[in-house]
Amino acid sequence: MASRPQLEAARAVIGAPTAMVDAPRKTSGAGAYTDDLAVPGMLHGKILHSHLPHARIRGVDAGAALALPGVRCVITGADAPTAYGVLPIGKDECALQPDKARYIGDNIACVVAESERIAAAALPLIRVEYEPLPAYFDPEAAMAAPAAGWLHDHRPNNIEKEYHHVFGDPDAAMARAAAVCRNRYVCPAVTHAAMEPHATLARFEPDGGLTVWSSTQVPYYLHKTLARVLQMSMERIRVIKPMVGGGFGGKSEVCPLEIVAAVAARRAGAPVKITYSREEVFYAHRGRPLQITVLETGAAADGKILAVRARVIQDGGAYCGYGPVTLLYSGALLGAMYDIPNVRWDGYRVLTNKPACGAMRGHGTVNTRFAFEAQLDELAERLGLDPAELRRRNFLRPPCRTVNGLRVLSYGLPECLEKVVAASSWRERRTAAAVGAPPAANDGRGPQRAEPASDPARRHGWGVACSHYVSGAANAVDRADAIHSTVYVEAAAPPPAPAGAASGGGAESDAAPPAVTVLTGTAEIGQGSDTMQAQIVAEALGLPLAAVAVIAADSAITPMDLGSYSSRVTFMAGNAALRAAQDLMRQIAAALARRWNCEAEGIRCLGGQVLGPSGQALSFGAAVAAALPPGAERLRGVGTYSPPKEAQGGDFKGAGVGPSPAYSYSAQVAEVSVDEVSGQVTVHKIWAAHDCGRALNPVAVEGQVIGSVWMGLGQALSEEMAYTRGGQLANPGLLDYRVPTILDSPPIEAFIVESLDPEGPFGAKEAGEGSLAAVIPAIANAIYDAAGIRLYEPPFTPDRVLRALKARAAAPAPGQAASAEQDQPEAKPGPAGGSPRPSHPAGAPPQAGK
Amino acid sequence: MTTAFTVNGQPRRLELDPATLLLEVLREHLRLTGTKCGCDDSSCGACTVLVNGQPALACTLLAAVCDGARITTIEGIAADGRLTALQRAFGRMGGAQCGFCTPGMVMAAKALLDDNPDPSDGEIQAALSGNICRCTGYVQILASVRAALAEAAGAAAAGAAQPDAAAAGGRRGFGPAPPRQATKPPAAHG
Amino acid sequence: MPLPAFQLHRPRELAEAVALWAERGAAGKLLAGGTDLIPSLKQGLFAPDHLIDLGAIAGMTGISRAANGDWLIGAMTRIHELAEDPTLGREFPLLAAAAAQIASPVLRRMGTLGGNLCLDTRCLWYNQSYLWRQSCGFCLKKDGSVCHVAPGGRRCWAAFSADTAPALLALDAGVELAGPAGARWLPLADLYSGAGDHPLRLGRGEILSRVRLPAAAAGMRGSYQKFRIRNSIDYPLAALALALRREATGGVTARLALTALNPAPVLVAGLERCLAAALAADPPDLTAAVQLVNRAAKPLSTSTVPSDYRRDMVQLQARRALEACLA
Ligand SMILES: Cc1cc2nc3c(=O)[nH]c(=O)nc-3n(C[C@H](O)[C@H](O)[C@H](O)COP(=O)(O)OP(=O)(O)OC[C@H]3O[C@@H](n4cnc5c(N)ncnc54)[C@H](O)[C@@H]3O)c2cc1C
Ligand code: SF4
Ligand code: FES
Ligand code: FES
Repeated sequence: MASRPQLEAARAVIGAPTAMVDAPRKTSGAGAYTDDLAVPGMLHGKILHSHLPHARIRGVDAGAALALPGVRCVITGADAPTAYGVLPIGKDECALQPDKARYIGDNIACVVAESERIAAAALPLIRVEYEPLPAYFDPEAAMAAPAAGWLHDHRPNNIEKEYHHVFGDPDAAMARAAAVCRNRYVCPAVTHAAMEPHATLARFEPDGGLTVWSSTQVPYYLHKTLARVLQMSMERIRVIKPMVGGGFGGKSEVCPLEIVAAVAARRAGAPVKITYSREEVFYAHRGRPLQITVLETGAAADGKILAVRARVIQDGGAYCGYGPVTLLYSGALLGAMYDIPNVRWDGYRVLTNKPACGAMRGHGTVNTRFAFEAQLDELAERLGLDPAELRRRNFLRPPCRTVNGLRVLSYGLPECLEKVVAASSWRERRTAAAVGAPPAANDGRGPQRAEPASDPARRHGWGVACSHYVSGAANAVDRADAIHSTVYVEAAAPPPAPAGAASGGGAESDAAPPAVTVLTGTAEIGQGSDTMQAQIVAEALGLPLAAVAVIAADSAITPMDLGSYSSRVTFMAGNAALRAAQDLMRQIAAALARRWNCEAEGIRCLGGQVLGPSGQALSFGAAVAAALPPGAERLRGVGTYSPPKEAQGGDFKGAGVGPSPAYSYSAQVAEVSVDEVSGQVTVHKIWAAHDCGRALNPVAVEGQVIGSVWMGLGQALSEEMAYTRGGQLANPGLLDYRVPTILDSPPIEAFIVESLDPEGPFGAKEAGEGSLAAVIPAIANAIYDAAGIRLYEPPFTPDRVLRALKARAAAPAPGQAASAEQDQPEAKPGPAGGSPRPSHPAGAPPQAGK
Repeated sequence: MTTAFTVNGQPRRLELDPATLLLEVLREHLRLTGTKCGCDDSSCGACTVLVNGQPALACTLLAAVCDGARITTIEGIAADGRLTALQRAFGRMGGAQCGFCTPGMVMAAKALLDDNPDPSDGEIQAALSGNICRCTGYVQILASVRAALAEAAGAAAAGAAQPDAAAAGGRRGFGPAPPRQATKPPAAHG
Repeated sequence: MPLPAFQLHRPRELAEAVALWAERGAAGKLLAGGTDLIPSLKQGLFAPDHLIDLGAIAGMTGISRAANGDWLIGAMTRIHELAEDPTLGREFPLLAAAAAQIASPVLRRMGTLGGNLCLDTRCLWYNQSYLWRQSCGFCLKKDGSVCHVAPGGRRCWAAFSADTAPALLALDAGVELAGPAGARWLPLADLYSGAGDHPLRLGRGEILSRVRLPAAAAGMRGSYQKFRIRNSIDYPLAALALALRREATGGVTARLALTALNPAPVLVAGLERCLAAALAADPPDLTAAVQLVNRAAKPLSTSTVPSDYRRDMVQLQARRALEACLA
C-alpha cells in the first residue's frame, strides 16, 4: 500500500493539463450535435423570413404551399401568439410575428414538409400581404422617428431603455484634471459566427409530453420559455442539449426556431427538425451591437485618473433581448477595473429595423473597453507617461469596492501587466523602435504573407491594453432564482470486481467503470464545462479523472443550472460540484467514522482510497458500499451555489448588472506593423496574460484565453456586419463576414496568472471572455505607435487605415488640431449614402486637451 | 441515377436524385454525421472529406460526379478502433474545443501529412487555411498537428510502423473524378 | 440548402458534350469543378434543367507542349496543379503565383482553369440568396430591372474576379473553344464581352477546351499583386498581373492586366510605349504608367470594401509590380 505522502503527490487532477473528457467524441466524428440527430417519422421545417425591414402583416396565404406534395403544414404567428423574451421587462417578440415584421429576416411562417428540399420549394409559394412602414437603420435617426416608425408601440422614440449613472462628482473632478481627452468611438456590430448553425429537433411523446433537443447555451431558459409559449407545465417538457458547436452568446437566448419546431411538431403530429442556414444564423444574430461611445477621461499630472464621462448609444436592432443588460454592462464595468472615483455614464439602447443584438463574448463591455483603453494611450502621451505605467498608477487596492459598488477580492491585474511587459520586452522594444532599430519580429505566417523584414514602408509598433470580465452574474435575469446552480454527485457500490481490474487510464479507456457520476444542468458548448466538473469532483474525492462520468443538460435527469453565459459556469457550477462532492464525502466519512471509531474530520479520500486517521484504508468503492444505507443503491451528494449577498451590488436603478462574485483580468501587448502605402496592418504577435484565479486545466485556460484574444482580433481587423442603405445585411455569410483564417492569425502567447480567489472553486475564476476586449485597443495603440494615427472605429481594415493616414498627411501639425468634437454624438453612426457600411472619418485628429 | 463509390472502404451503390450533394449522401443517406455543414457555401471547410485521397468540400460536390471514387470521412480514418495520432493529438493539445470544425480540420491535416510527412509550420498553416475555426484561434490546432508529427517521428524512430501510412497509397488520384492513373500526361514537359 | 432539381449529363467525349450543350444550352449549364456554380445554384442564381458535367471527359486535363513549343493546358486542369507544377512555375511564374492565391487549398484542388476563366461576375447585390435579392427588388443581372451600383444606367457592373485571367492575358494566352462547327482559337481577351450580366462571348454549343501559352512568353518576369482582406478564401478585390522582359535590344516587352475591378479582365493598352518613356528617365519615372493602369480600372461599389480604396490599391499594385519586374 502506498504511503500517505506518495498518495498526496499523486493528487494532481487540478492544475494538470487535461484533455477534454469528450474529446474522443469530437475527434472521431461520433459525437452527435443537434443536426446530427434523426428520429423515425421526422419532418423538416423551413422558416419564411420577411424581405421587408418594417411592415404590417395583413395576411398570410399558405394555400399554394400546402398544395405541394410532401408539405404537411404551414404555421404562422397565430399558432404561437405568446410573446417572450429573456428579460422580464422585454417580452416583446413572438417566434413567428403575428402582426408586424421588424427587420429583413424577421420570422413570418414555417413550412413543415417531408424533406428539406420540399420545404424549401414551398417557401416561395407562401403569399404574405404586407403594408410597408417607414424603416430606420441608424440609431440616432430612429430616436427622431415619427410614431409610424416606432418599432414597438410601447417604446416611444424607439428608445428601449435609458439609464443615467453618476458616481462621485465627475464634473468637478474633470475640472481639476491636468489633461482631458475626449473622443467619439464607433464600433460596428459584430456577430458570434459559431461554426455550428442553430438546430432544434422537437418531438411530442405518446403521453403528450414534449422532448426538445437543441443547440442552446441556456437549456433552463429554453425550458421555461417553451413552457410559457406552448402553455405546458415545465414537468411535461424535457429539454436535452446535445453537443454544441460553439455559442459565444449566440445561443444564450431562446431562438425562434426552438419554439417554432415545437409548435410545428404539435401541429404536424410528428417530430420536426429545423436547422438554420448560415444566412439565417446571421439574421438570428443577438451579437454585439453597433455602439457609439463619446468618452471623456481626465487625469491629474501624475497620471491618476480623476473622472470619466461616457455617453453610450447601442443600436439594439428590432427586439429587446438582453438589450438593457448589454447596455448596463457597457457602464458597469467602465470604471471598475481601475480605481476611478468619479464616473458619469449615460446609456441609451435604441430600436432599429435590423437583426436584434444581445450577448456576445465580453457582453456589453468590449466596445467601451476599447474606447477607454485607447483613450488611456492618448492620455499617457499627453502626460508624457509610459502607457503601462499610467495603468499601474491606477490599480485598485483590493479587497475593495469600486465606485459603483462592485466587490473585488482577488485582483491579478498588476501581475498580468508585469508578465506581458516583461515577455514582450515592452520597454526595450519601444525604445529601440524610437531610435529606428528594426526589432526582430516573429512572423509566424504562412508563406504567402512573408514581408521583407527591411521593407521601409512597414513600421513596427507596440500597444498595451487591459480588460476584465465577470465570473458569472451575481443576479439572475429574473432576480427570483435564488439558486444559480445545483449539482449532484452519485456513487453506486461497485459490482464485484473481476480480479486485477484497475482504475485509471486515459479518457479513451473504458476498462474501469466510473466510480462516480456527476449530474449537472450546465451546458457544455466547447468551453469545457463537463471536464471542469469532472476534474473538481475527481480532485475532491481523490479519484482519477477517468473514474468520473458526467451527465449534463438533460432536464429529465439533471438538476437546474442557469446556463452557459456571463462566464458563470466554472465559478458557480464548479462550486456546486465541489460542494456536491464534499457532501458525498461527508456521508462516506460519517459511515466510516462509526465503523473505524474515529472522527469523521480525520477521514480523507486520496488515490482512489478512503483513509482513516490511523492507517485504516478502504477502496473508494468499498467505502461507498459501506456507507450505503440499507436497501439504497447509491449515495447522492448535493451541492448548490448562490452568489453571496455582499457580491450582489448596490440598489440604484440598473445596479443588478455588473456585480459578480469575482472578476478576471487580462493585460496584453500587441506588436503590429503598418504598411503606410497600402494601409495594411499586420499583427505579428500578441502577448496575453489572464488572471483566472486558478488554472484548473491549463490547456483549457490557454485555449479560452487565446480563443478570446483571437476573436477580439477578428473584431479589430476584419469583422463587421455591414448594412446597405435599405437595411439589408450586406454580408450574411462566412465568405464576406470575414472571420480570420489561420493565415490571418498571429502567434498568441498566453500567460496564466493565478490570484487564487477566496470564493472560487480551488481559487478559480473566469477564463473565457475577459481577454477579448483588450486586444482591440492594444492593436489600435500599436497602430498609433507604428504609424502615428489614432483609429476610432474598428475594424482597422486597410481602407480605414489609409484614410486615416491620408488625413494625417493633410492635417495641420499637432497642437493646431481644431477642436471639432461635438458635445453630443451627432455625427452619423450608421451607413449613409451609397456605401453599404458605416463611413466615418476614421482618423480624426486627437482632440486638444485643456 | 445510380452512383457507386466506396465510403471508408465500403462499396456503396445508391439511387440518387442528380441534385444530391455528397454532403447530403454522407449525412442523410449514410448517416455518417461526422462530416459537418458550417456554411453550405464553400467558405468554411467544415465539410472537408477526402476524395481519392485529396481534400474536397462535400457541400460543393455533386454525389454523382464522385461515381467510382474512393471517399474517406472522419469516421473512416481510425484503424482498428484506435484513433489516429492526429485525432488523439487534437484531443490532447486543445485542438478541439467545440469540435465542430474538427472533422474538417483533421481531414485537411491528414491530406497534408499523407502528402508531406515533414511539413513546416508555414506549410501546415497554408494547408489549413480554408478551414475556419471559431474557438481556438488556431494556436492549439497548429500545436496538435505538430504533436501528431512528433508522435509519428517518435514511432518511426522506435521502428514502429507509421500509423497513418496505410492510407497514403494511391492518393494522387485527382479530385472528385474517378481515379485515373496519373494526373499529368507523361512526357508533358521534357 | 438543397439544390434545385436538374438533369445531370456526364459525357465521356468532348464532342458529345458539345452536342449536348448545343442542344440544351438555353436551359443548361456546364459544370466543371463546381466551386462557383454550386454555391450559385444554392442561391437560385441559375435554375438549369440540365447540367453537363465536364469532369468525366477524357483528355481535358493536363499540361503539354505543342509542336511549335507553345504550352497547352486542358480546361479541366485543376488550379492546384497550375500552382504546384514545377515546370510551369519555372517558365510562367506569374501564372503559378496567381493560381497559388486563389481561394483556399481545398478549393484549388476542386476548381479548374476553365471554370476560373469562365467565372461568373460578382457583385454584392447579386451573390445573395433569393430572400436577400427580393429585399431590394432584385437587379438587372438577375430577375430585376435596376442596377443598385449605378442606379441611373442600364449596364451591369458586376466585377469579373478570377485570378488566372489577368495572368494569362499578360502572358498573351489564347483559348480554344470547341463548338459544333469544330474548334477555334482566339485571344483570351476576346472571350470577354465587358458586360457584367453576360460576361462571356461563347457561341452556341461552345466549350472552352484548352488554353495556349505562347513559347515567347516563357521565362518572362512576372508579378501578381492581389488585394483581399484575408490571406485565404477571399476573392480578389483588386488585382493585377504584369509580365515583363527586358529585351537584348534594350527595349521592354510588357503586358499588364487587371481583375476584380471591371466586368471583364482588362489588358492595359499602351503600356510598352509608356514604359519606354518612363525608362528614359533616371531613375525611371513610373507615374505615367501607373496613371495609365489607373485609367483602365473602373472599381464601383460592387463589394463592401469601398471602391475608392480599390482604386488606391490598383495604383499601388501597378507601382509595386513594375518596380519588382524592373529591378
Ligand atoms: C469561397 C470561395 C473563394 C473563391 N476565391 C477565389 C479567388 O480568390 N480567385 C478566383 O479566381 N476564384 C475564386 N473562387 C472561384 C472558384 O473557386 C474558382 O474560380 C475556380 O477556378 C472555378 O472553377 P470551377 O471549375 O470550380 O468552376 P465551375 O463552378 O464549375 O464553373 C464556373 C463557371 O464557368 C463555366 N464553365 C466552367 N468550365 C467551362 C468551360 N470549360 N467552358 C465554358 N464554360 C465553363 C460554368 O458553367 C460556370 O458558369 C472562389 C470560390 C469560392 C467558393
Ligand atoms: S452591378 Fe448592378 S446590375 Fe450588376 S449585379 Fe450589381 S447591382 Fe446587379
Ligand atoms: S460547409 Fe462546406 S465549406 Fe462550409
Ligand atoms: S473547435 Fe469550435 S470551431 Fe474549431
